[in-house]
Amino acid sequence: MTGPVALRAAYIVTWAILLGYLGSLLRRFRRVREEMKDLKRSS
Amino acid sequence: MKTLFIAFIVLTIALLAYSTYQGLFVAPTEQTMGEVQRIFYYHVPSAWTAGVCFFVNFLASVVYLWKRNPASDALAAASAEVGVAFCTIVLITGPIWARPVWGIWWTWDARLTTTLVLWLIYVSYLVLRRFAAGGQTQVLAAALAIFGFVDVPIVYMSIRWFRTQHPSPVMGGGENSGLDPAMLHAFFWNLLAFTCVGIVLMVLRYRLQMLEEKVEATHAAAALQGGAR
Repeated sequence: MTGPVALRAAYIVTWAILLGYLGSLLRRFRRVREEMKDLKRSS
Repeated sequence: MKTLFIAFIVLTIALLAYSTYQGLFVAPTEQTMGEVQRIFYYHVPSAWTAGVCFFVNFLASVVYLWKRNPASDALAAASAEVGVAFCTIVLITGPIWARPVWGIWWTWDARLTTTLVLWLIYVSYLVLRRFAAGGQTQVLAAALAIFGFVDVPIVYMSIRWFRTQHPSPVMGGGENSGLDPAMLHAFFWNLLAFTCVGIVLMVLRYRLQMLEEKVEATHAAAALQGGAR
């Protein structure tokens, strides 16, 4: 692995982890909000 | 409060753009390592942010054991998860840097091993929180967090206490340590930007944890009402 390739790989991995984690948080938010709505509707 | 948080997110995005530009295009190329040295501008700030998250986790766990306050427990859960995300970045970008510079992906030296142990401790903390049954999960998790934090100063000091393959401290490492001022400038902007990203993620995760607990409490109340009828 050459230097520039390693640099690109490291930057891609960093952003993939951060954006992937942010995406998972937003999905979990959506799921919890839907659950809240269902609970309010059923009560 | 919501407006303030949105303003903070905008500031964080601007900081990230500026610090990435500084790290990739403005900071001078290191003479011996070349372009690959620029991984340093992501690797070290990620390690710093992971350390900050684990410190918040430690403080929140102490407060939880003392006051049994659900907000402290939520903050502990949030900070541990975000810390693990940043620690994962450290453990992946480190070997990517090491391969062209050392010729190997990994070696069991003190810094690398203690960092891997740190990651395993906080992954086990998250697994405990997710799968433990019974009413004592939060207390057990807080106790694990307090003991687990002992590894953070060991990771930091490992390159001072032991002779390691990992580079010796760049800053605060004695007479021969230090950075070129242009590199230092890029480094500090990246450090600030990554710290802000860590704060944004921790606040989001904290809010999610509080919402999840609210839903759980509502479910429990509904089940009790159903049982009483």
